[in-house]
Amino acid sequence: MDLVQQQLWGWNIATYLFFGGLGGATLALGILAELRFNLNKWFGILTSLLGLAIISFGLIWLVIDLINPLRFLLAFWIAGIGHSWIARGMVVITGSYIFGVLYAIAAFFGSTTFKKWMGYIAMFCGFGVTTYTGLLLNANVGVPFWHTPALPILFTVSALSTGCALLMLILAAMKSDEAEHYFHFVEGFDILLISLELLIIFAYLDFARLGNAAVMKSAHLLMGNPLFTIGFVVLGLITPLILEAFASVKHSAKGLAGVASILVLIGGFLLRYLITWAGVFQYPHGIAG
Amino acid sequence: MARYGMVMNVHACLGCRACMAACSQWNQTPFWAEDFKGKWRTRVTEIEEGKFPEIKRHFFPTICMHCVNPPCASVCPTEATYINKDGVVLIDYDLCLGCGYCIEACPYDARYEYELDDLKKDEFYFGEDARHHQAHVDKCTFCVDRLEEGLEPSCAATCVGHTRIFGDLDDPNSEVAKLVNTGEAKPLGNYMGTKPKVYYIK
Ligand code: SF4
Ligand code: SF4
Repeated sequence: MDLVQQQLWGWNIATYLFFGGLGGATLALGILAELRFNLNKWFGILTSLLGLAIISFGLIWLVIDLINPLRFLLAFWIAGIGHSWIARGMVVITGSYIFGVLYAIAAFFGSTTFKKWMGYIAMFCGFGVTTYTGLLLNANVGVPFWHTPALPILFTVSALSTGCALLMLILAAMKSDEAEHYFHFVEGFDILLISLELLIIFAYLDFARLGNAAVMKSAHLLMGNPLFTIGFVVLGLITPLILEAFASVKHSAKGLAGVASILVLIGGFLLRYLITWAGVFQYPHGIAG
Repeated sequence: MARYGMVMNVHACLGCRACMAACSQWNQTPFWAEDFKGKWRTRVTEIEEGKFPEIKRHFFPTICMHCVNPPCASVCPTEATYINKDGVVLIDYDLCLGCGYCIEACPYDARYEYELDDLKKDEFYFGEDARHHQAHVDKCTFCVDRLEEGLEPSCAATCVGHTRIFGDLDDPNSEVAKLVNTGEAKPLGNYMGTKPKVYYIK
């Protein structure tokens, strides 16, 4: 068995995975706020457009990573939709754009039923974008650390958590009662998500301890990297969890929640980068020399 | 319809790398790259085994395994990667987005990027005969163009030590079929479920 750390995917792909997940979650949670939590139509319109802008920003990094970025239009040729997560991802991304914009237009003109339908479909697509970023890595059978169902779950939970963080930052700056109400909902939801994320990370690393040489090597790489242990686990998960828990029992502690949000966002980015970085190929002996 | 496959008799490999040279000339792959590990459709890797003073060295030839269940094709969004009627895994360069997803998905390190710079070099060395006209992902094709003319893949045709034995696995009288059917030659990493059609005698 030859173990070789993968080199092909680096910062570009990690940046794409992060902003894709963040944008999808912002879109979905922003529309949810307007449809179910009585936030006004401008909140819905602006967060959905913000989500789409973030996805677009992420896509730039994916295009830069193509061998020839000028051929990016081929990405819309999704003949491989039956089996490829890039093709499926393109569908949910395109869906997010179409239904996100239709939702924003309907909200602007106040057409309630149409807005609801478009909003729910856009939410579904946005949620799809968050999930697919993990499934993308998952399909690589040669990298056992990625080839586990834990990965898409981890990325989905983390993406939703970063979406919550961004919304908290926006809501903290608003003054209405509805904003206050949704702020507390998102805060509680984020506490749940971060706790889940800690549990998944723990289970993930514990599973690595039990075997498969390549998975063990990936886990060692992560545990030996302070960006992971201190940067992601301590500063990106545990600290914001404590801050948010503290802020949730004290009223008017939005500053704390704001700091927590920024840490969650940085942690989410680190997680994408580190998981990609720690991918180790398990080649049959002789392939890599 | 055939089911092409190859057997690598590792014991017979001299490490002369004539196959790498022949392949890179025929298929115009980036022989201008600097090392023996980078952009090749076929590689011959030197392996050392054991501990001093009992070190054994041998040479290990690899190519695309032309998997029956190829992860590279599963991840390909545009179906640029496909399996032809003879079981050869190929890439349609016109459809290749250049996402590199297949390079990451291949568990045999068989693929590489044919970049814009390589296109320039290809044109520089081969002029009007240049065969690569757009950036794409590249890998072994079993020399499909030669197969159509009844020739063997260029590496097998050049092989000095009779290491590379090529043929139709469906023809029970072929040398490959015999080596595979008797169990003498075995695939690499079969536990991954890829079902390679390149087999090894080790
Ligand atoms: S060896 Fe790699 S490139 Fe070749 S068919 Fe199998 S997965 Fe695809
Ligand atoms: S690089 Fe080309 S062949 Fe490979 S997965 Fe992408 S589109 Fe398919």
